[in-house]
Amino acid sequence: MTLVEAILPAIEGSTIAALLRNGRWSYAAVNAVHIFGIALLIGAILPLDLRFLGLWRQAPVSELGRVLVPTAATGLAIAVAAGLLLFSVRAQEYAGNPFLLAKLLLVATGASAALALHASHGWLLRDASDRRLAWHGALSIACWTAALACGRFIAFVD
Amino acid sequence: MRLSTIIAIVALVLLQGGSALAHHGWSWTTGGNIELTGVIKSVRLGNPHGILEVDAEGEIWTVEVGQPWRNERAGLKDGDLAEGVEIRLIGEPAEDASEKRLKVERLFIGDREYVLYPGRD
Repeated sequence: MTLVEAILPAIEGSTIAALLRNGRWSYAAVNAVHIFGIALLIGAILPLDLRFLGLWRQAPVSELGRVLVPTAATGLAIAVAAGLLLFSVRAQEYAGNPFLLAKLLLVATGASAALALHASHGWLLRDASDRRLAWHGALSIACWTAALACGRFIAFVD
Repeated sequence: MRLSTIIAIVALVLLQGGSALAHHGWSWTTGGNIELTGVIKSVRLGNPHGILEVDAEGEIWTVEVGQPWRNERAGLKDGDLAEGVEIRLIGEPAEDASEKRLKVERLFIGDREYVLYPGRD
């Protein structure tokens, strides 16, 4: 905890945090990039999860995955990078925000579940059972949609 | 099992956070102006919100001023909003009166008026 207490003020005191805090458009621009990342992530992962749950059975999982998995991963990377910048502006305040903490937990769960799925069944998920995929789809949809909601709610609490 | 745990956590957080909706826009305010005079106790300016704590006759109010560009447009300079400065505020309070939160439309330091939201009254 003391390490966190030491790091947060340092993050907040960084040059980049000051630029974002005081700039006319910089904060809004990073905000837009964050949303772009989330749009890519949710837009890619939801169709794939719905396929896992049984929609569009004529579309092969491996073909969908070839497009949607890298798209979602890129979106997540962009959202995380921009999110760290947004966090830096008020690191100490945000660190105590219950919605941010819930969101981080959900993102970590969603991302670990995806990594675990691909670790056991390969990049294109050729040998995963329908049952395994359906369970993953349900968990994944719950995590990412709840993470989006928690992220939006950060701005609406003290 | 993991899923139900997550749902429980999210539900818990939603319930906990639901009480203090504030900040963005004017939806949380009364729609009518009040005037508040006090001394600035603490200052936290910058994106996404500028926040002052103001001691108004012993009551501590959380006061929302503008982002940097809005404060600058109103004519406020660095250091104008500082600890110990006496300030007169006109703006909309939170509908929940127990919150003691005010969103400022214009303010006075001494005799000089600074208008954060022109055309809002």
